[in-house]
Amino acid sequence: MLSIRDLVTSYGNIEALRGISLDAAEGEVTCLLGPNGAGKTTTLFTIAGILTAKSGAVVLNGEDMTRLRAAEVVSRGIALVPENRLVFPRMDVEDNLRAGAYSRRASAAEIAADVADMYRRFPRLEERKDQLAGTLSGGEQQMLAIARGLMARPRILLMDEPSIGLAPMIVAEIFDIIRELNREGVTILLVEQNARMALDVAHKFYLIEGGRITFSGSPGEIEQDEVIQRAYLGSRQG
Amino acid sequence: MSDFWFEFVEITQTIGDGLFFGATYALIGIGFTLIFGAMGKLNMTYAAASLAGAYAGLAAFAFVDAPAPVVFLISALASGVLGFVAYLTCFRFIPINNHLAALMASIGGLFFIDEMVVHATDGSPLTFPALFDDVMFDVGPYGVRGDLLFVLAMCVAGTLALLYVLYRTRLGLATRAVSQQDVAAQLCGIDVHRTNATTFVLAGLLGGIAGAMTASAVGVLSPLITVPLTVKGLIVTVIGGLGSIPGAIAAGLLVGGFENFFLYFRGVNERDMYVLLLLFIFLVFRPQGIFGSGADRD
Repeated sequence: MLSIRDLVTSYGNIEALRGISLDAAEGEVTCLLGPNGAGKTTTLFTIAGILTAKSGAVVLNGEDMTRLRAAEVVSRGIALVPENRLVFPRMDVEDNLRAGAYSRRASAAEIAADVADMYRRFPRLEERKDQLAGTLSGGEQQMLAIARGLMARPRILLMDEPSIGLAPMIVAEIFDIIRELNREGVTILLVEQNARMALDVAHKFYLIEGGRITFSGSPGEIEQDEVIQRAYLGSRQG
Repeated sequence: MSDFWFEFVEITQTIGDGLFFGATYALIGIGFTLIFGAMGKLNMTYAAASLAGAYAGLAAFAFVDAPAPVVFLISALASGVLGFVAYLTCFRFIPINNHLAALMASIGGLFFIDEMVVHATDGSPLTFPALFDDVMFDVGPYGVRGDLLFVLAMCVAGTLALLYVLYRTRLGLATRAVSQQDVAAQLCGIDVHRTNATTFVLAGLLGGIAGAMTASAVGVLSPLITVPLTVKGLIVTVIGGLGSIPGAIAAGLLVGGFENFFLYFRGVNERDMYVLLLLFIFLVFRPQGIFGSGADRD
């Protein structure tokens, strides 16, 4: 479904991605693991069009998305739930959700129906629908960010560290949501530092170190402890 | 007793007129604050472009004898176009983090527009049309000038229209999204450049109304108004709290009333000095402004 080939992205002279290739299959949770600074967020930002690749390709269902700008990428079916949520703090919950549907040019009735759908899925958001997003708890903001991403009706949902900065109980809740979304058929590319939780939901995983994919496989295929250790600490420079 | 009463009526009348005129300051303040909210930058061309818009309206008045409503409409439209030009020349292509470059470019824009006006008019004041300037309402001991009432009504209408766009339309949703979290806005499919350009045009339209109303209340349009109006606009923006629209409204009225109060007691030459003193007091004791929370920008 989503296919990344030899992606190279740099900040000035520093190459953050040195040729990444990975595939995310339809209906699966694909997981990208790796230590800090390995290039996980850069990968997602390049796919989403916030950053522009120096070379390589991003292809979704045969359509080349490499040079598209962020606004065009999301309207073609790739939505990113960014690290640290990045909700619109001085907008209420409902406007945050509406903003998520901006790319669709849908009618007000259609958007209202999808907002209602999100409230069914995340009842806590409905309780807080008139509250400013900046006043929500971290877990609620993460739910809002996920719901906002879903409002774009993406073909694939990219999630950047959805568990970061959340209490363990809330983390478990967020991973339940990911599992639930996947059961309903949402394709997910998940970036995580919490490797143990991530491997639990993933169908396939990639390990990224120093801007390169150093390992890939299915959970259970290999010693999980080794993957987890490398995801946190990295190994030798790949 | 009756002397005191007479004086009281005089003072409150003057302050009241100031509040009415302050509505134009509020509009200019809203324009500055809108752009600051969107980009975190000051568009120094703003007041000059607003008055240049009024000059465009005046041209229609001078050459084809257009009626006052048409003059006001052309003022707003021309100022909206100038807003777009200011965005393209001073903001669009300057790296987003280079605040000083954008500030200097827009100060350059301010003087460029001002010079153009001076050359086109030889720097002499020109009569600007007003509506209802022959109407006077008596409210108890007070007189309400019809033209000032119209100025206030136009400013209120402009502000309401802006709030409608910001809070009830797709365009407004995009504008607010970009101003609060520009990365997330892009991820929602919002084009940041296009949205910022729209914000400049919206602010420009509002500025054109403010420029025309200022000229209409004063009765003349002169390049000499440019710098004082820029300064007043910035004072209103700071006193209201950078990025706060309700703050700009309150501060505009406050500055308008305040300046007439000192006009009454200290005369026109000292008036602006006290307004600057008001700014100073705010900067020391409430630097976040009337409605700013201090940590409002994220």
